[in-house]
Amino acid sequence: MSFTASAGGHRWLPVLAFGVACSAHAAPDDAASLLARAIQAARQASYEGTYAHSNGDRTSAVRITHVNVGNEERERIEPLDGPPLEIVRRNDEMFCYFPDSKTVRLDRRVTAHFFPALLSASSPEAVSASYDLKLGKTESALGFDCRWIRLQPRDGLRYAQAMCSEVHSGLVVRAKTFNAQNQVIEQYTFTDLKIGPQVAHGDVKSLFESRIKRWVTDAQPREEAKSVDTGWMVNDPPAGFRKVTELRRSLPGRAAPVSQLVYSDGVVSVSVFVEPNTAPPRTAEASSEDGTTTFFVRPMGDTLVSVLGEVPLATAQQVGRSVAHRP
Amino acid sequence: MTQEISSLMDGELGAQEAGQALQACCASEEHKRTWYLYHVIGDSMRGQGPARLALPGVLDALKAQPTVLAPRRKLLETPFARMSLAAAASVATVGVVGWIGSQGGQVPTPVVAKNGGGLQPVANTVTQPALDVQDYLAAHRQIPPPELYRQVNNRAAARAR
Repeated sequence: MSFTASAGGHRWLPVLAFGVACSAHAAPDDAASLLARAIQAARQASYEGTYAHSNGDRTSAVRITHVNVGNEERERIEPLDGPPLEIVRRNDEMFCYFPDSKTVRLDRRVTAHFFPALLSASSPEAVSASYDLKLGKTESALGFDCRWIRLQPRDGLRYAQAMCSEVHSGLVVRAKTFNAQNQVIEQYTFTDLKIGPQVAHGDVKSLFESRIKRWVTDAQPREEAKSVDTGWMVNDPPAGFRKVTELRRSLPGRAAPVSQLVYSDGVVSVSVFVEPNTAPPRTAEASSEDGTTTFFVRPMGDTLVSVLGEVPLATAQQVGRSVAHRP
Repeated sequence: MTQEISSLMDGELGAQEAGQALQACCASEEHKRTWYLYHVIGDSMRGQGPARLALPGVLDALKAQPTVLAPRRKLLETPFARMSLAAAASVATVGVVGWIGSQGGQVPTPVVAKNGGGLQPVANTVTQPALDVQDYLAAHRQIPPPELYRQVNNRAAARAR
């Protein structure tokens, strides 16, 4: 099921304009159109539910509420495990509430993509450059019927993905990532879900905000999310990966902000961190893999390059080993 | 009698049977001990076991008579035990584990890490600093650990004092 650039995009433009009105349409029967619909539904539809996420050794449950008002996305996300934490998002503005420390952290979305809006790509064209799109079977989940869309990588530089798109709304209700041996290494599934007008718009507001009288506001992350010229570049990014942004981030325990370059193929992203190789300096490359998360560090004399992303180790190594000063 | 006690705890007995079981249970020190033991096992399964056992000799009885745990296998099949197990995990987590477990046609993916316990260095880094992925992971996902702000604010509060 290959996709030609002219097929899906134009056909779905009217649907794009109508937003959730697409739920009234029958599900398209080609993978690219179905993927376009899934991408749109994640942004345009109203939904509320709890999903379970397993990646490597971690399993967690997350509550999510999402609505779209006047073409503005509003979303509330609450991880149900661990200390209380809530993320309220308006388009790319993120408000992260930590009630225990009475702190609200302001940030701008760069790499954060929460299920079911996993893809940063806004169209299937961007995806089909690196993945073959295939239709899978239809299955029943939580009383909904969903159709699997398989994103099969055209090379070994990325993992295969599959998403099950609910047949009426297009919303992705389940997703999986497979390694080269076709083993599931990450998966998401809603455990309860409401789609459509029954989702109250007020449900996307912060639940924690009114509980604390005086919040401490940390606006620094939002400032740091602005693009800057870090002076670094990746000479040989893997095929299909393009630079999304570069910025400087404060990380705990570092004297100065760390340079971060973000690359994405529209489905997954890779962050490259460049910082001084401080004492005790690292002298050898090292790596770790857990679920879809791969981490690779490479010392370059007095500079340390760290690569983290949802990619196979070879991809992280290719990125890390081609980091250089911008001429 | 152990069967009746087990069934009583599971709420599987009718009113009359339950009354008989309670009477019989209370009339015998041995049955009382069994009743207590079953609750200790249940509480322990929920992670709420007592710091020490209130009835002396129960632990010795457990050690000396492995057969005393024979009803436990039965216990694990009962609603009481299932409820205990369910209490240990959120309903949502059980849901996904069930779904993960139901995935046919693929090599099952262990929910535990292939590295056994989170991210471990793959390369030999005996003389190297440990790989600490957390700060980078938090920056990449844009979800900082709540502990970060607790520490920062504690420091700020300490300075204010």
